[in-house]
Amino acid sequence: MSAAIDNHWYPVAMISGIDAPRETLLLGKKIKLGREDGICWVKDASGTPLPTVERFGHLWTSPGQPNRDLFTIPEADSPGRRLVDVGSVKVKCSPLRAVENFLDIAHFPFVHTDILGAEPHTEVDRYDVKIREEVDEVWATKVKFFQPQAAKSAAGGITTEYMYRVPAPTCSVLYKTCPPRPGEWDIITLFVQPLTDEWCEVWPWMALYDDDSTMSEMVSFQQLIFMQDRSILENQLPRKLPLDPGMEVPTQADMTSVAYRRWLKKIGYTYGAQLVAA
Amino acid sequence: MNWIAVGLAKDVPPGVVIPSRIEDTEMAIWCTPSGRYHAWSDRCPHRGMRLSHGFVRGETLACIYHGWQYNQTGSCDYIPAHPKLTPPDTICVPTYTCVEEGGVIWVSLNSVDDPLPVLGARVPVRSVPVSLSAKDVAAHFGAAGFTTIAVVSDYDTLLAVQPCTDTMCVLHVLAAPDADRKEVSRWVEDLRTTLEGVPA
Repeated sequence: MSAAIDNHWYPVAMISGIDAPRETLLLGKKIKLGREDGICWVKDASGTPLPTVERFGHLWTSPGQPNRDLFTIPEADSPGRRLVDVGSVKVKCSPLRAVENFLDIAHFPFVHTDILGAEPHTEVDRYDVKIREEVDEVWATKVKFFQPQAAKSAAGGITTEYMYRVPAPTCSVLYKTCPPRPGEWDIITLFVQPLTDEWCEVWPWMALYDDDSTMSEMVSFQQLIFMQDRSILENQLPRKLPLDPGMEVPTQADMTSVAYRRWLKKIGYTYGAQLVAA
Repeated sequence: MNWIAVGLAKDVPPGVVIPSRIEDTEMAIWCTPSGRYHAWSDRCPHRGMRLSHGFVRGETLACIYHGWQYNQTGSCDYIPAHPKLTPPDTICVPTYTCVEEGGVIWVSLNSVDDPLPVLGARVPVRSVPVSLSAKDVAAHFGAAGFTTIAVVSDYDTLLAVQPCTDTMCVLHVLAAPDADRKEVSRWVEDLRTTLEGVPA
């Protein structure tokens, strides 16, 4: 595997879920993880320790030598937020397909019907997309969409504003209008562990302002949404994400996905990507 | 390969879409509300989603992922994210020749004009998957091909065989109109057991 793929941080477990040592896959290779005296560890197949970071309720590791720290989400530290470990879902698709689906709003009325979207409110207005060179991240801002029930805490339909951020090839952070606190952003993330190039484990995590819902209600809401996404992700052909134009047809609503694919190509991140039209 | 049966019309009524395949060609088979059958490549050109998971809306097939609608020629004529846009003609789904005749849905991947198989007065009974290749089924009956194989029975049975993989095919079974359907159904089950015991 090339450094362009190995030298990233990857989520491999929810910290609260680590009890006995266990095996998992990262980029097609076996790794082992566990916790001793409150400190999490990860080892490769030969028993060599791998670097670890504990952040956002999850354990992160890297099979290479990451040349930068794991990204941060400063907004998530503000007081009053509830941090929600959603759990994990394994999906038979490329890790990049899972991230790209998370960046897409146009599917809301059809896949998350009457929750995140509903006909006839299907139009996607122009929004801003940029690869921020100084931080090497993809950002989409001023994304607006009408949602019947934007969050567990939403009382009725509202036009929600979104910002999407891709701080690492298999991670995305969504900043979203917060129904009970206008002016603040709810934070919903998608951390994707590439088990192989066509199989991934998805760890959503949230930092929300919601004083009313129970933890299990917030978890159930997000799990329902992701189960609906999974029915799509396991039925896209090919399973890998095509990076070359020609295999799939983007429109203006897909500007975030176009920028994401271009950025993956630029940084040489080809794990889970299809480079030549089959 | 000319006409191949891909399903029975009664199993794909108007407004329904199902997945099907002829060897490596995966298809979405669907029927318009007005009763016209279509066989298309099972892939939306937008993001590669299977169209067989989609839904029939009016005389179009819509993809479940983003609701893109494809008209009867396979061209995209509506993109919900951009309701005012007229989609370019280049956005289209590959289509295959498909007709319904005698209650059977027939597809020709190479669009030949060959006449459709002769079914006589027989009527469709049911479809059953069998763990054996279509070629091996034909060989079992000493038939030259597998498009249709007349099988001697009390019910004047005819098999229209759909090749799927090296180890799987589907038998679309037709029989005399006055044959008892339950009896034919039991006959088919016995046939399946026999065929699955045939060494490949």
